[in-house]
Amino acid sequence: MSLLRLEQVSVAYGAIRALHGVDLEVREGEIVSLLGANGAGKSTILRAVSRMLPLQGGDILLGGRSVRATPAHELVALGVAHVPEGRGIFPSLTVQENLALATWTRRERRHVEEATRRVFRLFPRLAERRTQAGGTLSGGEQQMLAVGRALMTGCRLLLLDEPSMGLSPLLVREVFRAFQEINAEGTTLLLVEQNAHMALKIAHRGCVLENGRIVLEGPAAELAGHPRVREAYLGEAGASSPPCPGTPGSSR
Amino acid sequence: METVVQQLLNAAQLGAVYALIALGYSMVYGVIRLINFAHGDIFMVGGFAGLLLALRFTWMPLWALMPLAMLLTALLGVAIERVAYRRLRQAQRMSLVITALGVGIFLENLVRLGVGPETRQIPSRMPTTPVAWLQDALGVSVTWDKLLIIFVSLALMALLWAVVHRTLLGTAMRAVADDKDVVPLMGVNLNRVIAVTFAIGSALAAAGGVFFGQAYSLDPYMGIDLGWKAFIAAVIGGIGSIEGAVLGSFLLAGVEVLTVAYLSSNLKNGIAFGLLILLLLIWPSGLLGRPASKKV
Ligand SMILES: Nc1ncnc2c1ncn2[C@@H]1O[C@H](COP(=O)(O)OP(=O)(O)O)[C@@H](O)[C@H]1O
Ligand SMILES: [Mg+2]
Repeated sequence: MSLLRLEQVSVAYGAIRALHGVDLEVREGEIVSLLGANGAGKSTILRAVSRMLPLQGGDILLGGRSVRATPAHELVALGVAHVPEGRGIFPSLTVQENLALATWTRRERRHVEEATRRVFRLFPRLAERRTQAGGTLSGGEQQMLAVGRALMTGCRLLLLDEPSMGLSPLLVREVFRAFQEINAEGTTLLLVEQNAHMALKIAHRGCVLENGRIVLEGPAAELAGHPRVREAYLGEAGASSPPCPGTPGSSR
Repeated sequence: METVVQQLLNAAQLGAVYALIALGYSMVYGVIRLINFAHGDIFMVGGFAGLLLALRFTWMPLWALMPLAMLLTALLGVAIERVAYRRLRQAQRMSLVITALGVGIFLENLVRLGVGPETRQIPSRMPTTPVAWLQDALGVSVTWDKLLIIFVSLALMALLWAVVHRTLLGTAMRAVADDKDVVPLMGVNLNRVIAVTFAIGSALAAAGGVFFGQAYSLDPYMGIDLGWKAFIAAVIGGIGSIEGAVLGSFLLAGVEVLTVAYLSSNLKNGIAFGLLILLLLIWPSGLLGRPASKKV
């Protein structure tokens, strides 16, 4: 069943068009990876889905219902959580306060306790740092906090914008393992990445975005083997050698 | 020695009023990075709301009158944000500042037209009898009204601190101060948090106005002078910081009162503004302010 569906979505920043009629579908329970170069419009898609940006054209359906006119804060109550690019944690709030704020729409004691337990199980380091200010965490811990915070909303659909950015290969593996676990527990993931190796490894399906248009899509394994993807996003000149999904992506 | 204690007591009363105003400057700056130059006039309107209520309902005790004045002024603060500031939130800073100045002038003239330009005083609803045991202990004159003003103000500040640091609403207010663009992603209605911030800041200013109107006097332009003082206090303490606003207020009132008592009342403002400049040279972001954010 389709959980999220973008139909001919167009978005512009002032006079600059960033998305040109994007169609995209994410089914319940899937991990979908969205690949693309810098400036392709990946973050714009996520911002459009979480209603941080107005649509210029097209529509966005959540569980079959249009959310075109829904304000961003109401989307959280509908089960969409967005981990923005650059993490967006609140630096002066403690880890605990960052997590607590995300329960704004779900304050029942049972939900808060269960969600907190789940986040601390996925990211034990956050439990150790619960009284520390968010701004004093390391980059990897901040990313964990951003993901943990999104889970506190009780989301069905988790939007992740370049979660591997700035992390060491070891940490990337750690958070991606958490993503697989989160997915196995029933949450649908739309993952934006430049790290195509990892993103395609854990995804069911993938799409490639170029200049605000979807140019390729398909099952993740198929995409990983596609010459265009191998050349442009897996860094394999000539694309003749077989893909080696075991190696971590080029980290910056 | 007695006179110093007496002066410090006066300073505590004045500082309490400054703090009630300064908190609004600081809170509003915290959430939308606006120096709300109409805030001094909101304080003035709060005082006049207390006056009109006191004249109209002569039977009403202070504990009912003050919350009512606070409520009315809170609604005014919310209305100002909704009508004048909200649509300018993405505009240039200067447009917002000029709008705030305009709102202030509007309020001054509205009150002058409605109530008249005369200096008024709220008929006291507080016992002005001396506090015998405290007088004996300190050896200076202490009256109940002064003590009430100081302690009720401190209680309001403590209540505010608890809201900001111990509730989810307060967490949301601090989150808005950190990064307001991310706040909606937490499911929080940003506009509502900002409106509540204006409501709380305006209500506190109204409490200050009601106290000031009883302890001193009211006139439609009093918000200018007192607004500036409270603004200075907020900046000295570190704008955006609640503790800073309170600290700066008592510090400024202390300096002022002692200057008047021991030097000259003509020097009062000169010293207050001089202190601001001096302190900001040493602590550019105020005594308890956060240094200019080093965002990654
Ligand atoms: N706030 C903005 N204002 C103007 N243009 C923007 C803004 N954000 C992104 N863009 C433009 O929109 C396009 C897509 O950007 P973005 O979605 O951030 O790409 P990606 O996330 O794939 O790197 C780029 O050309 C970028 O320059
Ligand atoms: Mg991006």
